[in-house]
Amino acid sequence: MSHDSHHHDDHEHEHAFFPDEQLPEGSVVDGASLSRDVDEAFDFVVVGSGAAGAVAAHTLARAGFAVAVVEEGPWVRTREFGEKVSEAFTRMYRDAGTQVIEGHAYVPLIQGRCVGGSTVMNSAIAHRTPEDVLAEWDERFGLGSHISARVLEPHFDALERELNAHAVDDAVLGENNRLFLDEAKHEGLPAGKMRRYERNCRGSGRCVTGCPNAAKQGMNVSYVPWALALGARIYCSCRVDRVVVEGGRACGVLAKTTGEGAAKTVRLRARRGVLVAASTIQTPNVLRRSGLRARAIGEHFQCHPGFGLGGVFDKPVTMSFGATQGAESTHLRKTERIKLETIAMPPELAAVRIPGIGHDLMRRMGVFSNLAVWAVVVRAEAEGTVRQGWGARDKVRLDFTRRDVERTRKGTAILARMMFEAGAREVWPGIYGLPSILTRPDQVRLIEEAPADSRLFSMITTHLFGAARMGLDPATSAVGADFQSHEARGLWVVDSSVFPTNLGVNPQHSIMAMSRLAATRIAEAAGRTASAA
Amino acid sequence: MRLTGIENRWAEAAMGAIFPGSREEGLTDIRAMDVSGFLGRVVASVPSKVALGLRLAVWIVALAPLFVLGRLATITSLAQADRERVVATLVMSRNYALRSLVMILKTMGALLYAGDDGVRARMMVPTKPKSLVTLRVKGATAVA
Repeated sequence: MSHDSHHHDDHEHEHAFFPDEQLPEGSVVDGASLSRDVDEAFDFVVVGSGAAGAVAAHTLARAGFAVAVVEEGPWVRTREFGEKVSEAFTRMYRDAGTQVIEGHAYVPLIQGRCVGGSTVMNSAIAHRTPEDVLAEWDERFGLGSHISARVLEPHFDALERELNAHAVDDAVLGENNRLFLDEAKHEGLPAGKMRRYERNCRGSGRCVTGCPNAAKQGMNVSYVPWALALGARIYCSCRVDRVVVEGGRACGVLAKTTGEGAAKTVRLRARRGVLVAASTIQTPNVLRRSGLRARAIGEHFQCHPGFGLGGVFDKPVTMSFGATQGAESTHLRKTERIKLETIAMPPELAAVRIPGIGHDLMRRMGVFSNLAVWAVVVRAEAEGTVRQGWGARDKVRLDFTRRDVERTRKGTAILARMMFEAGAREVWPGIYGLPSILTRPDQVRLIEEAPADSRLFSMITTHLFGAARMGLDPATSAVGADFQSHEARGLWVVDSSVFPTNLGVNPQHSIMAMSRLAATRIAEAAGRTASAA
Repeated sequence: MRLTGIENRWAEAAMGAIFPGSREEGLTDIRAMDVSGFLGRVVASVPSKVALGLRLAVWIVALAPLFVLGRLATITSLAQADRERVVATLVMSRNYALRSLVMILKTMGALLYAGDDGVRARMMVPTKPKSLVTLRVKGATAVA
């Protein structure tokens, strides 16, 4: 069955069933309900079912290999997605949405922990890896002949076709995005609609709690089910303890079920190798637990901090309708390392940021319908570390540089000015030490004059990179340009932990393309073609 | 590691100070919701370090009247206006750790409060923001 015919059927039947239903019998093993230990053998075992793991698994399955995917979280199906953020946090987010980067400031770090990983709750934004970033990877890490725009292009092409990447349709643009685009045009700031992976988006504005229509092409409704249709099997609610490395070669993984009751052991043997795609935070710790000792493991962690501000308008904005994120400007990415964008917030998350306490807060919650939220995302220079803390918990440390905060501040000031120009009656900067509410454009200078201290800005982080980076020198990298560990044959790392630097744009597209490139090369090295599109 | 009965009462009082409801705005009081049940589910699902932070935040707010108002009292024994004043002072504190901890209560409260069907429905109703007033808290400089 081709993907195209599969998708066509979905539209024809208007979701008589979603892609995460009616899966091949025996293709899903739920660790939460396992009553016995498991010991199975496959050609390849893939750790993680997010953007990287799902694409790698699909690519290898399409090449005819027997593939197992191991996912720590549960498979929450489309029909189970609700509107409430607290329930989504508990079921699908790592640490129930409370994970933080520790450092000078505590910065929330958002990751999915479910089948599909963070693609279940992100906005499915498709950006190819910027060529200046690839040039930097070549210049600093010597990767040019291995990772380049030309090498990645067929993979981007295939992904865009298979996931139906396209600009947001006008019908579901929504007022939050339209306001941003209109104002950017008015000011002469180059901006545009985001390109997203979606089919028949209805503008439910519920990306962060899981798309209730399976319109967003998260891995949970695309590459994971497609891989299963090709014979792969997924073990969900199974946490990988370590990759088993014997005689310098990866030969399987050991996992434990995460359901209630006594944990069962899941041993998955890999005849050809193991691909680790557990994410920038979990991958380094899996590698460490597997006995790898490269100095680069857990180092050079990078991210994109984001900072949002609200504006109250006279007319309804109604963030509950429209693409959760649908408009952006990357005009300042190269020069200022910032990207400006929209983000519709559900009421619960907006309520956290609405100024005030008590009755003042109540008054402002009443104008939620007139609230627009725009954000600045920074390509931060800061590098941090990923370690395993007490109780095998992931521990992430990073201190943003002064310039990172200055850039955050600059982007915030630009957005605040845009909001006033667009007609905002109030702008809520959310910077400690400033008035909670700005009512005049001249007050934007207060933002520009705010101290460049990360503790004053309520930042949040979703885009994660590094911590097992790629390079030619084993002394300074964890994997080679072929994605394979310098220390263990048959052990490839295919997620964004191998990215030598951050990108300055949303990373899902780059993660998937890099993973697809890696899996294609692995298949070809094993004498098979992954029939690239 | 569930909150004790008295901790739940303190937490409910603190969240009631933050989300007291408003007849004028058609918003219910958070204390009409199952605050302790919600916090019980939160504590059961978050890492122990976060649960500890939540508990610490509850204790800070509970005992803050002594330091904020100079009164030997807990948050539960204050009138609503004083509760709001205490919590507002804490979230505006110059001490980063202190205000961050207390913001946990606003965050958790927001998840419960704005997750309520009635509150959500009210928030979705288009309104006229001309009725907005300036924050009443003196020297309001916090993100809060």
